[in-house]
Amino acid sequence: MAALDLRAELDSLVLQLLGDLEELEGKRTVLNARVEEGWLSLAKARYAMGAKSVGPLQYASHMEPQVCLHASEAQEGLQKFKVVRAGVHAPEEVGPREAGLRRRKGPTKTPEPESSEAPQDPLNWFGILVPHSLRQAQASFRDGGRRRELPGGLGSSCSSRDISKSHLEVDPECGLTEKRSGGRAGLQLAADIASLQNRIDWGRSQLRGLQEKLKQLEPGAA
Amino acid sequence: MLEGAELYFNVDHGYLEGLVRGCKASLLTQQDYINLVQCETLEDLKIHLQTTDYGNFLANHTNPLTVSKIDTEMRKRLCGEFEYFRNHSLEPLSTFLTYMTNEFPAQEVCTPCSQTLVTMFLRVQVNFHPVKRCSYMIDNVILLMNGALQKKSVKEILGKCHPLGRFTEMEAVNIAETPSDLFNAILIETPLAPFFQDCMSENALDELNIELLRNKLYKSYLEAFYKFCKNHGDVTAEVMCPILEFEADRRAFIITLNSFGTELSKEDRETLYPTFGKLYPEGLRLLAQAEDFDQMKNVADHYGVYKPLFEAVGGSGGKTLEDVFYEREVQMNVLAFNRQFHYGVFYAYVKLKEQEIRNIVWIAECISQRHRTKINSYIPIL
Repeated sequence: MAALDLRAELDSLVLQLLGDLEELEGKRTVLNARVEEGWLSLAKARYAMGAKSVGPLQYASHMEPQVCLHASEAQEGLQKFKVVRAGVHAPEEVGPREAGLRRRKGPTKTPEPESSEAPQDPLNWFGILVPHSLRQAQASFRDGGRRRELPGGLGSSCSSRDISKSHLEVDPECGLTEKRSGGRAGLQLAADIASLQNRIDWGRSQLRGLQEKLKQLEPGAA
Repeated sequence: MLEGAELYFNVDHGYLEGLVRGCKASLLTQQDYINLVQCETLEDLKIHLQTTDYGNFLANHTNPLTVSKIDTEMRKRLCGEFEYFRNHSLEPLSTFLTYMTNEFPAQEVCTPCSQTLVTMFLRVQVNFHPVKRCSYMIDNVILLMNGALQKKSVKEILGKCHPLGRFTEMEAVNIAETPSDLFNAILIETPLAPFFQDCMSENALDELNIELLRNKLYKSYLEAFYKFCKNHGDVTAEVMCPILEFEADRRAFIITLNSFGTELSKEDRETLYPTFGKLYPEGLRLLAQAEDFDQMKNVADHYGVYKPLFEAVGGSGGKTLEDVFYEREVQMNVLAFNRQFHYGVFYAYVKLKEQEIRNIVWIAECISQRHRTKINSYIPIL
């Protein structure tokens, strides 16, 4: 009976795993398509503006991100990723800090976040009068989201082979891979992919555990 | 008008005109482009380019070959050809070629191995007209100001500046806070001074104002070039004036299109339009009030030359306005070679070569990104 329950659990886990894999593949395809569109639009922008007008000379080495990724622990110890606009604190961080600084005498100055001014639109790095293709590139990257190294070391295992390959072949000198153009929708896609991969990894380890247990219960089973 | 241009032109400029016509004949043909678009990798592209006039220009580059390296080497080659023309030219062709050099971006010919050659050029040019270097200087100034905004080190930017545009006051450009500081403290004794006089303001040098400054400088330069060609007269004026008028109108259209949805006001936009060309003055006034592409198209519909260009935008090929303007530019530059004894052939050759470089870089980008659907969106020249 225990073996039967185990088998049922194994089956449902496998089904869930397959469902997650299918969802992951779908999201990766969308991300790949958006990123490829973005790179082609950048090539069009270089065609219109000049090859050296869209490159590393136009932006600073150190940048302020517009959007950050917050990792939090969800149920079953799984990490969940959430896209947050830079400079905005998560609710649980703001509450206690405010109470500690409240005073009775007159209005007080609550501490502002370190970067109080809005981060600059990355499009302005290349000038004010940029061609439509550069705006399209920004929109593509924003909608698709750029795949970056994520907390928990999941980046390398999650990164699509297609994306990393196209990135390396296009132009390592261009340095436009880290275009932090911050749209929540785009990065949310990347965050979802990370969460899915996390769940798949967890599912696989659960699967192995269940298979071991089953082997112990039914040593003669094939 | 001097009637005897055909009699005297070859005395001073015949050799160079012959040379530039020979160079024009070596531009890539349609068959060359067909071979290039069939390449699977950049290495294949390099092998196919070896069979053209480019030869082994990438021979010194080790793997991995990148689009950026291909672009740099092609531009270096073009610069070498241009420098040969300029160093062997006599007045007034020398001044004409100097005006042309504003078309080159600041990063041309800027490698350690070319520094010795450049130093020799500078020594040779020390007695020449100082306007010679102003075009590269404009690009260097804008590059330095942008670099200051991005908090890049002066050393890093200086390394990327064009050697022919160097001047002693260059390192101080990044400390200027307003264009008038820049002019009074730094540029007043340089050849850029005449072009700067139209761009003076007390505003701080932020992205918007650098953009305004760049466009106003270019406007001043273009107007000066047009005036030079017009005053020269003869076949050069007949060939160059329509080309420069088209360039002025193109700038007006592109500035208008790119300004939609930005912080650039209509008044500021109007100050960037060159004050010559088919659109000047009524068309420019209407264009300054345009708020979207359709309104811009309505302005173009008043001009027989521009109406078909705007109608070609979009369509099945997905052509942009820049694409149709490049096509028109190629047509005009090819036609320039139908007449003799004028300086327009030099301008036309350089422009056609730049288009060829854009074509090859586009094909290389499509190959490296494995995005072959748009690989045929280049503009054939011959």
